[in-house]
Amino acid sequence: MYEKIESAGNLSMSKIKCDHCHLEFSDAVMIHDGDYRFCCKGCQGIFHLLRDEGLESFYSKMGETTLAPPTEQFESSTNFDTPAFAERFITKSPEGWNQVSLVIEGIHCAACVWLNEKALHKMPGVLEAHINYTNNKARITWDSETLKLSAIIDMIRAIGYNAFPYDTSLQEVRVNKERKDYYLRMAVATFAVMNIMWVAVAQYAGYFTGITQEIKTILNIAEWVLATPVLFYSGWVFYRGAYYGLKNKAVTMDLLVVTGSSLAYFYSIYITVFEKGEAYFDSVAMIITFVLFGKFLEVLSRKSAADTLDMMSKHIPSEVSIVEGEITREVNVNEVKVGDILRIRSGERAAIDGEVISGEGSFDESNLTGESEPIFKRKGESIISGTTSIDALIHYKATKDFANSTLSHLVNLLENAMAKKPNIEQLANRLSQHFSSTILFLSIATFWVWYFGQGSFDRALMVGISVIIIACPCALALATPVATLVGLGLGAKRGILFKSAAQIETIAKASMVVLDKTGTITQGRPEVVEEVIHHPFEPSHLYSLVSASKHPISRGVMEYVERQDETIEQGLLQDAQEIPARGIVARVNEMMIAGGNALLMKDMGISVDSSSDKSLFYYAVNGVLVATYHLRDLPKEGASESIVALKKFGLRVVMLTGDHEAAASRVARDVGIDEVHAHLNPEEKAEFIAQAHNEGYVVVMAGDGVNDLLALARADIGIAMGNGSDIAIEVSDVVLLNDSLVSLVEAFAIGRRTYELIKQNLGISLVYNSITIPLAMMGYVIPLIAAISMSISSLLVVGNSMRSRLMYK
Amino acid sequence: MDGWVVAMMLGASLVLGGIALIAFLWGIKNGQFDDETKMMNQVMYDDESELNDAAQQDRKKEELKKKNYKAE
Repeated sequence: MYEKIESAGNLSMSKIKCDHCHLEFSDAVMIHDGDYRFCCKGCQGIFHLLRDEGLESFYSKMGETTLAPPTEQFESSTNFDTPAFAERFITKSPEGWNQVSLVIEGIHCAACVWLNEKALHKMPGVLEAHINYTNNKARITWDSETLKLSAIIDMIRAIGYNAFPYDTSLQEVRVNKERKDYYLRMAVATFAVMNIMWVAVAQYAGYFTGITQEIKTILNIAEWVLATPVLFYSGWVFYRGAYYGLKNKAVTMDLLVVTGSSLAYFYSIYITVFEKGEAYFDSVAMIITFVLFGKFLEVLSRKSAADTLDMMSKHIPSEVSIVEGEITREVNVNEVKVGDILRIRSGERAAIDGEVISGEGSFDESNLTGESEPIFKRKGESIISGTTSIDALIHYKATKDFANSTLSHLVNLLENAMAKKPNIEQLANRLSQHFSSTILFLSIATFWVWYFGQGSFDRALMVGISVIIIACPCALALATPVATLVGLGLGAKRGILFKSAAQIETIAKASMVVLDKTGTITQGRPEVVEEVIHHPFEPSHLYSLVSASKHPISRGVMEYVERQDETIEQGLLQDAQEIPARGIVARVNEMMIAGGNALLMKDMGISVDSSSDKSLFYYAVNGVLVATYHLRDLPKEGASESIVALKKFGLRVVMLTGDHEAAASRVARDVGIDEVHAHLNPEEKAEFIAQAHNEGYVVVMAGDGVNDLLALARADIGIAMGNGSDIAIEVSDVVLLNDSLVSLVEAFAIGRRTYELIKQNLGISLVYNSITIPLAMMGYVIPLIAAISMSISSLLVVGNSMRSRLMYK
Repeated sequence: MDGWVVAMMLGASLVLGGIALIAFLWGIKNGQFDDETKMMNQVMYDDESELNDAAQQDRKKEELKKKNYKAE
């Protein structure tokens, strides 16, 4: 039943797999249940449940995967049955059944998907359960009369998973739907065009070698049948675009596409029915397909703003611990009133502003203020929502309710900032407006000249239409998307993610770059810059001591010791104890060792020199100070070179920080930035950006923390560091995965390169058109030439983009 | 005569192609291509019991439809 893994014959070390989760434990600590072994009650329960339900084949299906042992505590599932929940998350299927979308937590393998679907299908009343393995989202349809949703949730939890509701009205869902829609249209268009092409080959052959009118009509009808869904189904997006364009009194590329293809379509029907001349069905289908392809590329690289806010609210704790006399209970953040006593433990994030009434400890405020060193809070000092307690257990009094607290205030501001985000018009859009009007004008002019010149209405109409067809901007529509796609690819290879293609063009036009200090220019964590040894000591003791703490300063010292001696190993500490906001104390080999700040040394009766502009870490053995470490948040590798490169691009480089003046100017001096604004709060940062934008700068902002959110959202381009907070990544337009300023420089280089490519591509298609349009106006264009010309111009644009991709390795 | 042969050949191949296209579109709309990882893994769990399971789900739906129909 279970496997034993013998380790060198030592029986006490033998590990046994839990029969549910397949994690290994030593036999002694496991629950013995007949032949089976379980690591915990949870696993045992699930195992028996699955066996009772006849689902034990799950274990053979899951193979070598291990599961996380189930968590025991869940909030009650009854809130899934409330009307408020139903209104937000439950939709009705066409048959009148209830549907809900859930995110299932704990899915590791395909067998998990199988198990969940199976278990749900076994419940009476569950009509459909589909789980997406890639994103763990489940769609469940059930009959509300037979079954409550809470029962479904309980079932999912009973088999060792958990489920959260998922709001399908999210932007992301809409974007996916739009993509799918485009995909369908693309499929139809591609199918039709490929078929039209082989029919058209027969037509072209007939044009040169002779063809009977009967066969010609049959071929025309076949093309007609194929072109119809392309124009009216796949091309529907252009009709829509042209309509909205006209409504705003703008001549858009869509209008040109629609007029050209519709005219050609109806003219071709006329040709087919009255059996004279050449039909242009192949051109109609081709135009729509090419341009649709360009649009599809655009849709693929679009990002959604609305999800960002949702992401943001996920970071706000939804419940807080409220202290009432002896009892502590969890309440919803909205229920907290001013004056309530709240408790915050280490690792927790404050949701509500307040004032400390008891306890003390350090808080990490870096994501709000940018100050990299932890802030020590004691009685009477204020707690800002959004900050995280590092080591503090604190009781504090709420001075504001949730809606007025800093964090939710920030969310509101962010909402505003994102609505105000400037939008720089793209070159191709501007160009296509002029282009479209010119072509429409030329086409009408050609028609009249031919009509009055030759007097044949048919001929004049055909030539007029051929002008639009030949000019129809296949290449123009592809020029920008293909170029940006190359740019996106180049960026992705170097760990630079552009969230939307349009951003590449904007970044090329940027004239000012604003950098945040902590985490963007600097590493965001203190590093030892100076070591003063007063008496010799055993480094491995110090190493063991600092390893015991997660405090950034201890980490800094730990890394330093590791660098000094890579083979260093941790020794055994006795009675290691972390004293909040002071340091760590422990015993080793009858020696008392202590490491921490000046406060700790003072407590121990050691007098130290604490005057320094850096953070200090003292290490004492048996009450004697043996070493002092000076720590500083150092600039990242290659920072100064990158700043020089940015300046070479002709950009105005500015540093903004919430940190104090001295620290800011020191870093600025180190990396060579002349313009520094220190001591700014998040709103002031955003204000600075908006100001610069009004002065005519195209502003790029790079930052990483919550304190940069507003500024990131407000800038023309927000660039987030991959190590930054998730929200910052969401808000920004570009993400630098490897965090370095070198990538930032590369992002600019790629942006400029791509913009250059866009201009080249547009140039090619315009030059091409200026050769072919006169030919069309003179009446030399037959369907074959139109088709060839369209393909060649598109190939030229794509080829040029490929060339650029190969050249820029 | 010639014309008829061409027309029939064209018609037949377009109908066949059309059927394939419709099947593909149906697949996309049905979400069968949404989840590539699951699609690859599902092959492993494709035996009789899965078929029974699907049939049972269909029966459940039918029964419920009938019940609702009677209720009206």
